[in-house]
Amino acid sequence: MRGFITLLRKELAAYFVSPVAYMVLLACSLVIGFSFWFWVNYFVSNNIKEVTVFYAMYNGFFFWFTLIIMCPILTMRIFSEEFKMGTIEMLMTAPVKEWEVVLAKYFATLLFFAIAWSPAVLNTAWMHFASPEKIQISWGMILLPNLCLLLIGGFYLAIGVFTSVLTQNQIISAILSFAMIFILFCAGFLANGKADQSTQDLIEYFSVMAQMDTYSKGILTTRPIVFYLSGITFFLFLTQRVLLLKRLKA
Amino acid sequence: MIQVKDFTKKYAGFTAVKNINFEVKPGEIVGFLGPNGAGKSTTMKVLAGYLPPTEGSVKVAGFDVVKDSIEVRRRIGYMPENMPLYTDMRVDEYLRFRARLKGVASKKIKERVEEVKNRCSLKDVERKIIGTLSKGYRQRVGLADAMVHDPELLILDEPTIGLDPHQIRSVRDLIKDLGKHHTILLSTHILSEVEMTCSRVIIINRGKIEASDTVNNLTKLVRGGGAIKIEVQAGSSLAKDKLIALPDVDDVEILTESDWSQIKVFPKNGADIRDTVYGLIRNEGWALRHFNREGASLEDVFVELTQD
Repeated sequence: MRGFITLLRKELAAYFVSPVAYMVLLACSLVIGFSFWFWVNYFVSNNIKEVTVFYAMYNGFFFWFTLIIMCPILTMRIFSEEFKMGTIEMLMTAPVKEWEVVLAKYFATLLFFAIAWSPAVLNTAWMHFASPEKIQISWGMILLPNLCLLLIGGFYLAIGVFTSVLTQNQIISAILSFAMIFILFCAGFLANGKADQSTQDLIEYFSVMAQMDTYSKGILTTRPIVFYLSGITFFLFLTQRVLLLKRLKA
Repeated sequence: MIQVKDFTKKYAGFTAVKNINFEVKPGEIVGFLGPNGAGKSTTMKVLAGYLPPTEGSVKVAGFDVVKDSIEVRRRIGYMPENMPLYTDMRVDEYLRFRARLKGVASKKIKERVEEVKNRCSLKDVERKIIGTLSKGYRQRVGLADAMVHDPELLILDEPTIGLDPHQIRSVRDLIKDLGKHHTILLSTHILSEVEMTCSRVIIINRGKIEASDTVNNLTKLVRGGGAIKIEVQAGSSLAKDKLIALPDVDDVEILTESDWSQIKVFPKNGADIRDTVYGLIRNEGWALRHFNREGASLEDVFVELTQD
C-alpha cells in the first residue's frame, strides 16, 4: 500500500514536469471553454430548455475528438519510457509488487485526466453563482454526464496503460491504443445496419455515444458502470500479467 | 548471505550462465570478475530478484529470489550497470522517493538521505536535475540509491565505470568502509581495485566459474606466481643445472647470457624458494647483483583463467 502511494505521488509529479501534460491541459481547457461559451450563448439566444449545456458539450464532435486523442497521449509514456530508459530495472528491484506499480501508474493518469476535465464542472459552478436569477439545479444532469466521462476516460486510459507496457516505443504505444479506442468507439455505429434485434442490442451495449446520451439526460443505468469497471479491471489485469511476464520470461 | 546452487540462466536459445555454484558469507567483500559477456550482469540481475533463474536455486539471506522476491529486494541494494535514473527528478527528490519506496520509515528518511548524500559527496548537487549531471555524479547517485535503505547486501555492477581516478579512489574507500558493516558483491574490470578492496574473488568465464579464492591464493596458482629473478656472475648452463636440482623448483629460464646471466626460477605450486636459491648462490660463491621475487598480479590470473 505504501509503495502504491509513493509511486502514485511520483507519477503524478512526473506529469507536471513534462511539457506534454501542459499541452494536454491547455488543449483540453480551450476545447471545454470554447464549447461551454458557444453552447451557453446558443441556448440563451434560442431559448432552448429541453437539454442541458452538458448534454450539448458532451455529445458533440469536439468532445469525442478530444477524448479519443487525449487518452493515448496521456498514457503512451507511462511504461514505454521506463523500458526505454531502463529504469524499470530500478523500479522492479525495489520491494514493490507489479500490481502496485500498475495501479499507481493508472490512478495517476486517471487523476490527471480528471484535473484536465475539471474546468467543465468549474464553469457550471461559476455560471450558477454568476447568474442573477437562481437556477434550479438538477444534480443528476450535472453529475451523471461527468460520471460517464470518468468511466469512458478510465476505460480508454486502461487501454492506453496496457499498450504502453507492450512496447518501449511511445509512438507505437500511442498508435496501438488509439486504434483500439477508435475501433471500440466506432463499434457503436454498427447498430444502424440491418442486423436483427438481438445483435443490435449487443452492439448498443458497446456504444459509448448511446451511453453518454442516456447519462446526459440524467438517467442512471447500471449497464455502463458494469461494462466499464470490468473493462478497466480486464486491461489492468493484462498489464500486470505482461509486466510480470516481461521480467520472468526474459 | 548468498547461496547459488546449480544455477543456469538461458535467454532465448543462448545460455548466459551454465550450472554455477558459489556462496558468499556475511561480511565478505567479493569481487566478481570476468570478461565482457561472461555472465556477470546476468548473475547479478538474478541475485537482485529482477530475473528468475532458468534452473537451480538462488537464495539471498535465506530467501529464494523467485518465491520471496520482495523479501530479497528489501535486503539488497542493487546498482545496475549503466545506472538508469529518472532524468527529470532532482537528486534530493529522487533519493527521498527511493528511500520511501524501499520502505525506510518516514521519520528516518531525511536522516538516511542526508547520510548517503554525505557519503557519496552529493551535497553540492542535491538540488540539481539528474539529467544535467555528469556521468560521475550519476554513478554516485546510483550508489547512494543502492545504500539508502541500509541493506544487508550490496550488489554493485561496475560501480566505478566512467569515473575519473579521484572518484575511483573515493568510491573504493567508500566500498571498503561499507564492507565493515555490509556484505558486498561487486563486479569491475579494474583489477587493482579488486586487489585493494576484496577479501575474495570469483572469476567467471563463458558462464562458468573458473576460480573462487582470495587474491593471494589465486596469484599462487598461476605460473610466475612467486617466481624469482636473479642476475649472477656464472655460466648460464651450469647455473641452470644447479638451480633445477633444488627442491621445489619447477623450471628455470635463462633470460640473458653473457658475463652475467639473468635467470628466472619458477617454484612448484607457489612454494617460497627464496632461501634455498640464495643458499645455493652463497655456497657456489657467485657474485649477485639482482634478486627479486615477482608476485603474479591478479591481471595474470585473470588473463590465464579467461583466455580461450
